[in-house]
Amino acid sequence: MEIIFGRLDNNNARFTLTETRTAFANAFRRAMISEVPTLAIDQVRIYDNTSVLFDEMLAHRLGLIPLRTDLTTYVPAGECSCGGAGCTHCTATYTLSVEGPRMVFSRDLIPQDPTTAPCHDEIPIIKLSENQKVVLEARATVNTGKEHAKWQPTIACGYKNYPEITFSENCDGCGMCVEECPRGILTVKEGKAQVVAEKQEECLLCRLCEEACMAGGIGSEPSIRIKGDETRKIFVVEGDESLPVQEIIERALMHLRQKSEDLHTIVSQLSGVT
Amino acid sequence: MPATYKCARCKHKVEIDVNVRCPYCGNRILFKERGAGIKDLKAR
Repeated sequence: MEIIFGRLDNNNARFTLTETRTAFANAFRRAMISEVPTLAIDQVRIYDNTSVLFDEMLAHRLGLIPLRTDLTTYVPAGECSCGGAGCTHCTATYTLSVEGPRMVFSRDLIPQDPTTAPCHDEIPIIKLSENQKVVLEARATVNTGKEHAKWQPTIACGYKNYPEITFSENCDGCGMCVEECPRGILTVKEGKAQVVAEKQEECLLCRLCEEACMAGGIGSEPSIRIKGDETRKIFVVEGDESLPVQEIIERALMHLRQKSEDLHTIVSQLSGVT
Repeated sequence: MPATYKCARCKHKVEIDVNVRCPYCGNRILFKERGAGIKDLKAR
């Protein structure tokens, strides 16, 4: 199994996973979404809220703000030496005190530890009118997306089979498939349809080109064939900036390996083979 | 303990227990005032 990166930066990754199976690819996707821990606001103490928003709604909005997470400093509350009571190793504290008239943004949330500041400054929380104010204290904890979606480190995380596009000799270069393709990955050269260089991975596997080819009325089978290679998967991962995407991928793989080792140990114990 | 309300018409602070009516202007639309207590919530 091999990972070939097409793109990798702090917030986005696009890579091809080779010699794999759909079951493993899906387990990997699910691990990235729901098994990699991040920080998110979980408890809110409201001292004053004279805004138009209910306290519960305000707390819910705060919970959805992505926070920068350093997993070498913060550990999940269940694994912390304080036993989940809340200490500086498992809990980040924030304060918010704003008076209207103005819009309250995520940058108004002042963290006690600057490394856990909100990932984006411009997330609107609430609009305050004259004489309205919000004063609160919030506590963020480390947890996983399995507990609640606010702890998911990914915004978009998915995969597709690697597209294999083949042309038969019957192709007369009519160009109907080229017109139909929503991604514009096909072209006609020297009287034959072919894939534009380095655009094969962009195929959506929608097969509109196959249908267009059949509509052209050449033979009983389309001269273009689209097939997804189930042993190669193209992954697209977009993070919410709470963690670098590379760390999300690494931690998801570590989680899968740990689960696999645990399963191996349990099966060995049950079968009596070590 | 009776809850504190604010009259929608005359803006007087009103304490009601049985009759929902402002004793100053007779208006029946009252807004509940926020209490002074601190509220702990789960952000979910």
